[in-house]
Formats: sequence, C-alpha cells, structure tokens
Amino acid sequence: MGKREFTIHVGPQHPALKEPENFVFKVDGEYVVDVEPRIGYNHRGIEKAMENRTYIQNLYIVERVCGICSNSHQTCYTQNVEELLGMEIPERAKYIRVLLAELERIHSHLLWLGVAAHEIGFDTLFYYIWRDREVVMDMLEEISGNRVNYAMPTIGGVRRDIAADKIPKYLKMLDVLEERTKFYKNICATEKTVLARADGVGFLSKEDAIRLNAVGPNLRASGVASDIRADSPYLVYDEIPWNVISYDSGDVFANVLVRVDETFESVNICRYCLEHLPDGPIRTIFSPLGKVPEGEAVSLVEAPRGELIHYIQSRGTDKPYRYKIRAPTLGNIPALCEKLRGGYIADIPIVLAGIDPCFSCTDRMVFVDEDRDKRWEMNGEQLRRYGVEWYK
Amino acid sequence: MIPPVLSSLIQVFIFPGFIFILSYAMFCEWVSRKFVARLQNRVGPLYTGWEGILQPLADSIKLLAKEDITPKAADKFVFALMPVAVFALPLTAIFLIPIQSLTNLWGYSPIVSFEGDLIIVLFLLSVIILSIFLAGWSSANRFGIIGATRAALQMLAYEIPLGIAMIGPAIFARSLSIGKIVEWQAQSMHNFLSAPNLMAIPVALLLAVGFIICTVCLLAELELRPFDSPEAETEIVHGWQVEYSGKKLGLLRLGHDVKLVLASALLTSLFLGGPIGPWPIPPVVWFLLKTAVCVLILSNASALFARLRIDQMLGGSWRYLAPLSILYIMAVQIIAGLM
Repeated sequence: MGKREFTIHVGPQHPALKEPENFVFKVDGEYVVDVEPRIGYNHRGIEKAMENRTYIQNLYIVERVCGICSNSHQTCYTQNVEELLGMEIPERAKYIRVLLAELERIHSHLLWLGVAAHEIGFDTLFYYIWRDREVVMDMLEEISGNRVNYAMPTIGGVRRDIAADKIPKYLKMLDVLEERTKFYKNICATEKTVLARADGVGFLSKEDAIRLNAVGPNLRASGVASDIRADSPYLVYDEIPWNVISYDSGDVFANVLVRVDETFESVNICRYCLEHLPDGPIRTIFSPLGKVPEGEAVSLVEAPRGELIHYIQSRGTDKPYRYKIRAPTLGNIPALCEKLRGGYIADIPIVLAGIDPCFSCTDRMVFVDEDRDKRWEMNGEQLRRYGVEWYK
Repeated sequence: MIPPVLSSLIQVFIFPGFIFILSYAMFCEWVSRKFVARLQNRVGPLYTGWEGILQPLADSIKLLAKEDITPKAADKFVFALMPVAVFALPLTAIFLIPIQSLTNLWGYSPIVSFEGDLIIVLFLLSVIILSIFLAGWSSANRFGIIGATRAALQMLAYEIPLGIAMIGPAIFARSLSIGKIVEWQAQSMHNFLSAPNLMAIPVALLLAVGFIICTVCLLAELELRPFDSPEAETEIVHGWQVEYSGKKLGLLRLGHDVKLVLASALLTSLFLGGPIGPWPIPPVVWFLLKTAVCVLILSNASALFARLRIDQMLGGSWRYLAPLSILYIMAVQIIAGLM
C-alpha cells in the first residue's frame, strides 16, 4: 500500500447498506483505488433447511429467501417441482403468476429508485416515490392478501383467484402508477443535481459486463439486451407483447432509465394480463404428502434484479435431496467491483445501490483452503465451535 | 431603574442572550424539521408538546442522559473541547447582531458593538469550520477524517464568496459594524419613502444578488443540502460527527441550531433590514419573523436538491459563485461611488 492510500470498510454495518456485507476500499484521498468484497455475513442455511422439509413446506421457506423478490423465488421453485412432476398448470394460473411477477417488478423497481435517490442525498424524491409505491403494494395486498410475501404460486397453479369485478379497479391503479412513474422519469432526467450524481458514474463497458457475468438491469444498462423472459420464455411471456429495454451508456443513469422503462413495460404486461385473463381453474391439486419422481431440474426466472437460477435434485421422496439457489446479486458482485474502481468515495453508495443488491439472498458458506485446494462444509455444531475459537 | 451591571447580566444571560437564543434556536430546528417534513410529504415531529414543538428540547435532554464514549485512539483534549467550540462560537457571533434593546421597547442594539464587528463574525464563521475540522480529525475515525477534510475543502470554496457578499452592504453603509449597516438600511428606507429616488433600484437589485450568494454560501456553512457532503449520512456515516455521542453530540446538535439562527440573523441584518419594521410591532418580533423566513428559505433549498459531490461543489463554487461575487462587489463599488 502506498503512503497516501488507506483502507476504509464499508459494512458490515453501514447506512448505505441495508443488509450486512463488507467491502474493503483502498482509497487515495477521495478516489477509490481498489475494492475487495467479502460476503457471508447473513448466511441462513436456507438450502439445507429445504432438504429437511416437504415440498409444500418448502414453498414458504423459498419465499423467504428474499423480502422483495419473494414471488420470483417461489415461481422458480414451483416451476422446478412441476417439471419433475411432469405437471402442466392451467392457463389462468400462468397469467396470474405473470401478473404477480410484474407487479413485484414494479414495486421492486420503484423501491430501488427511491433508495437510489436516498443514496445521493435526495430524500424528498425518496419519500415521494415510496409514497406512490404504496399503490402497487395495496394492489398486491388486495390480490394476494399480503404486502410482502404473497404466497401466491403453489405447486400446480396459484393459491388465490382474481375476482373479475376487481379488474377495472386494478387497471385504474395501474394508470396511476404509470403516470407517477412518468413524472419521476422526468425529474430524474431533468434535475441537475441528480444528473450530476448519476450521469457517467459507475461505468461498466459492454465487454466487461459480459465477461464479468453481470445480470439483469445491470447488464441491460451496459447495452446487452438480455432478459430471461425473452431469451428462454417461461409461463406466458412469449404470448404477451413487450420489449426488452436496454441502454448502452453503462452508468448509474442508464440503470435508472432501464428500471424506469421496465416499470412502464411491466405496467403494460399487467394490463395485458388483466384484460386477457383466460377462464378456467387456477390450480391442479398436489397432495401435501405427495412424492416427486427421481430426477433433476433447473429453472430460470427473470427476477427484478436479474437472472435467478434454481436447481433441484429429487430422489423420489417427499423432500428434495439437494436444492441450490443462485440469486442475481451474486452474479453482479464482480461487475460491481469493476464499477467501483477508479470512482469517488462519494459515489460508493449510489454505485453499490445501482446493482440493487440483495445480499441476504446471496450469502453462502463453503470453506476453501487455497493452499491445499480443498473445499469442505461444516455442520452447525462444528460451525459454532469454529466461531468460538475464532473470536477467543 | 435597573442598575447597569444587572442590565448587562440580563442582556447576556436571559434576553436577548443565552436563554432567548437557545430557545429560539430550538424553535428554529422545529420549524425547519416540520417544514422539510411537510415538503417531503411526512408529518415530522408530532408527539412532544404542541405539534412536536418540544422535540428538539427532548432530543437534547435525551442526549445529555446518553453514554458518552471517547474512542481510545482519539486526541482526548481536542475531542472534548471542540463540541464546546462549535456550540460557543456561533453564540458569541449572535451577540454582535442587533435584536432588541432592554430598556427601550422600540429600540434595538447589539449586546456588543464596535467598528469592524462584521469582520469578527466572518472570522468566527471560519473558526467554526476549523473546530469542525479538528473535531473530525481528533476522533481518529476514517469516516471522521474524510468528513473533516471535506468540511475544510468546502470552506476553501465558499468562504471568499461569503466574505465578499457580506462586505457589499458594508460598502453601501460605509461601515463595518453590523449595527451601523442596519441603521443605514433603516435610514435609506426612510429616505426612499419620503423622497423616491431612482438610485434605490440598482442598490436593491445588488442587495438581492448579495442575498442569493450569501444564502448559497450559508447553505454550505450549515452543511445543508446540496452541500452536506461533510456529514453525508449514506456515504461516510455522518462524517466528522461519527464518533460523537452523549453530551458532546448534544452540544454539536445545539451548536448546529445556533448556527442556523446565526445564519438567518446575518441574512436578516445585512440584507433584510434587521429588526426594523413598521411601528406598532417591537423590533424583536420583526427580528423573529424575518429570521424565521430565512430559516424557511434555507430549509426549502435543502429539501429541493440531491447532494453534490465535493469536487462538484468546489468546481461549481470557483467557476460560478466566486466570479459572480467579484462582479457583484465591482458593481457595488461603482454604485456606491455614484451615490
């Protein structure tokens, strides 16, 4: 380390990070020279927990991987199980799942926009956006009964139906959302202090985005029009007219534009779903004690933050033998480090928030001994003892 | 008749001294918080007293009772001294500003006044930033040091425009005493009303420009948005204040409130005619009204913008604010010469 450089730790506890994660920055004055991420402060052992529970119980565990994109995780999980069962879900259920997924995307993107405004110190915008986000939260509550963990998708379909007489009301709420989002897009594109903090900040080139495996809006902000909903359509995304949004400036401002425009797309998809909701049953029954045939499956879902991958392995019992989750934030961390290098300290929060990180979804625990090229895992008791030894 | 000693003591400690200024500072914090909250579609303080009016007092009392931690690596003497300085310096500066005379209901005079007290106020404003720098530096926290450096850097940017903007009215009044500047404003207002004169228009325009420059600089002095990078919560965890807790943090907060009053009192005295107003209302009421308006202007600005980066702030200040203030002072010289 040079004479003028020193390190600052952002996290595990820092006001810019809503979840515990550690980034060690080497800074020279106000410039960031290097960054080293350290994940693993919020590991909850969800995958292991899933291996000890039945498929129906797992619905509720997998939903709690993430507080914001809970529906994406559940959709991904149910798709996996349905593939193993060879089960085709009713059309109406597919439309309702898409509706939920897009409403979730609207709520997640608006939440992100508010957080981004807060990170650059524009609290007024933050409060306004979060106030208007309540519209979509109310809508989700009315449809599913819950504001955050909707518990809508279930194995074989969805849990609750959408009442036909409520649809005009929902369409009106979508109009409100669209109008307010237009207003915020206008503010972000014209307010000088916002532009000063977002334009050209946290640049990621198209080549780096592909090389470092960026996913989701972060990737699309760097000019790669890649979206799981278009690349390998699941549910009914191939029947619904919509566009993949991408901008090629690769900075925080492009991230803002991608998310705002995706919100518009999502509003349109929701409208289409509500207007073209097919009739029929909403689920085929799967017994709570049901067993799943032997096999393995992978399912991809475009969560609000990007590509979500779930892998399942079944040995023919009522519990999964192995379950593996790759949340989008994990894919985005190398790209994030690239974005942070060479920037200002003042830009750390907005660039960090720019990928819309969700660290508790990401955290995992594998022990690696680099010298001997060895990997191993520990059980709870060993881990506890290891912790006691470590902090002695 | 009150003996002079007693009258001086009352002036310093009760009215318009410590107790009056402190309660007004807390009131201003409440006004500012409530106003910003309403702008942001929140309710703001609500439970302590009427509409939460006692909330700043409650916060201070709470902080007095909290544990006071000094970091091991900190320079303990400086660390303990600086909150006192940050609190005492703006309070001292307010003593130089005319508010209300104790003996005459319609009279106003500063507690202390002498030729050149405007320079002392400017000096005190710089020393406040110096104490802020030392406060952050002595805490030996990395975020604290970054915040302290930012505070000092920011001072380099806004101090010169601020000084120049404040000297403008002094040139018109041909005096460096705040009291005399206020008197000049009263006199010229009186002259204008009795015999309207075209020369008043450029003077008023120039004072408006000075008011704007001064407001921008005072936003930076007060570390309000868009210039709050020394204490940027999301970036450097409240910057130079990060290690302060308990009594010391309480003093720092109170010092900030007093600084808010000082800033609006300066704007009022230099540009808005200080405690002067139409007859039936005593000067102190006019002073309170005008400073409250200035507090509202400052907090309105702070709710409207995103936080600027320190380099953007420095660049903007030297590129636009400093040349503007130099043009302004040249124009002031010319007009004052013509008068």
